[in-house]
Amino acid sequence: MYATYVIWAKHMHKFSRSTEEAMGLALQSVMWVVLFGVGMRGLVGDVGGSDYMSYMLPGIIALSALGGAVGGGLILLDERLRGITKEYLVAPIPRLSILLGNAASTATKALLQALLMLLVGLLMGARLAGHPAGWLAALVLVALFALGFSGLALAIAAQSRSIMGYHGMIFLFNLPILFASNALYPLDVLPSWMQVVVLFNPTTYLIDATRALAFGTPATLPLLLSAAVVLGLAIGGVGLAYGSFQSALKRNM
Amino acid sequence: MTTLAIEAHNLGKHYKETTALSDLSLQVEPQQIYALLGPNGAGKTTALSILTTLIPPSSGTARVAGFDVVAQAHEVRRRIGVTFQEIVLDRDLTGRQVLDIHGQLYRLGKAERTRRISELVALVQLEDAIDRDIKTYSGGMKRRLELARGLMTNPEILFLDEPTQGLDPQNRVGIWDYIRTLNREHNLTVLLTTHYMEEAEALAHRVGIIDHGTMVAEGTPAGLVASLGTELIRVQGSGDTAHFIKTITTMPFVLRVDQDQQQGVIQIYVDNSTRRLLDVVQMAGSNGMRVDDISIARPTLGDAFLHYTGRGLRDA
Repeated sequence: MYATYVIWAKHMHKFSRSTEEAMGLALQSVMWVVLFGVGMRGLVGDVGGSDYMSYMLPGIIALSALGGAVGGGLILLDERLRGITKEYLVAPIPRLSILLGNAASTATKALLQALLMLLVGLLMGARLAGHPAGWLAALVLVALFALGFSGLALAIAAQSRSIMGYHGMIFLFNLPILFASNALYPLDVLPSWMQVVVLFNPTTYLIDATRALAFGTPATLPLLLSAAVVLGLAIGGVGLAYGSFQSALKRNM
Repeated sequence: MTTLAIEAHNLGKHYKETTALSDLSLQVEPQQIYALLGPNGAGKTTALSILTTLIPPSSGTARVAGFDVVAQAHEVRRRIGVTFQEIVLDRDLTGRQVLDIHGQLYRLGKAERTRRISELVALVQLEDAIDRDIKTYSGGMKRRLELARGLMTNPEILFLDEPTQGLDPQNRVGIWDYIRTLNREHNLTVLLTTHYMEEAEALAHRVGIIDHGTMVAEGTPAGLVASLGTELIRVQGSGDTAHFIKTITTMPFVLRVDQDQQQGVIQIYVDNSTRRLLDVVQMAGSNGMRVDDISIARPTLGDAFLHYTGRGLRDA
């Protein structure tokens, strides 16, 4: 659908203009790697067979993907609040192409942030390990993860009444992603109640699989299960966005 | 028989607790400028949203350019241009980008987009600003750009929701000129909403006065005014106004009496205002009303509005 492309291209242009936001987001992730990663490396040294920088990088990549998704959802929210979506709604284009355009631009942004983080991490001393096919598989998982959280961000953005409300909702996801997951510490050092919480967090599965595929840490969870959870997150996120978008359409966005 | 540009039959829009529109019918001939005149909250924007396929009606039917707005929404969308009440523009894009992206959404080719943009930019006189970011535009420039965007796809029918709201008089007259030019030279049908009486009077071939979600009067601006009577005495005062109105309504030379509650003005339509002025003053005195101000005037569209809605447009 051509309209999907037009909306995607317009959003990408807007992203390229909002350099402050992109820089802020990138710096936030870089600071995680530099301040936390370097400090912890001194303390921990080696986790599960790889150095701490390589160990924590998948979690930071997941966090960056989330940040990108949040920024992408913000574009939909901003266009909704300003009434710009009405321009699309009176145009002879399929309603679905509006959602797809938003989803495409949001996922693109999330993936770009994730890739940027991977690059920073490698520069800071993280080491890729294993077969390049595994790296590629890890990248696909990161892309699916980005798509899932893009869907989640869009679902919230299609309903929020204000920028503040949107950030409030999104913030709920931000901390648990890092701390209620295996992003910073291995699963087996956690008390059993927290292990349960962590196993409910799809981020855990992405991180575990990415470590195994690209950073040479043995998987602690079955790889196929991890892939299935991440795929489920992607499908669920997109489905949620679709439902939220349809109900917003009924209210005229 | 020619097809009507717009026809609406008994349109209604009901929400859980409110009724935004009830039983609105209207017909717009091709190449006409039609103004929906009404106070804020009268249902103008709701009517426009239905006709531009943004929301479906709860009841009734409407056809635009010969197509049903619900069943054939896609065909309607291809043939209309719309500007919204609020300014709907991306601040971080340039004027040219906004027009170009809009053309792309309607699948205009690159050459055609370039040609349309240069034509329209000349029409709305934005040559100097078209490559600047919209955040540097004044309110009037934004409205002109939106008008150009509405015209970008060469629509048969243009819908304008409060096209000059918030503009200074100079910009307002400018927008009026563009609308008239488009109508005259490009045979464009225009449906606009406004709560400015002067706007309806200056632009419209036909005016529909809308209040509480329904059409209360319709006609040419001159016809609506003529239906009221020829001359008008306006009285403002204090005291027993109710008794005064009751008495004066029975007088044989009085055609009708309207009262603007909020402004406290009583409007008395008479056969001859100069001859009846003294009668009115005397009747006020003998009915316990003290006259603070009295004037005579020819009725305007604003008076027609007051007559049909019971509210002055000033407070609308």
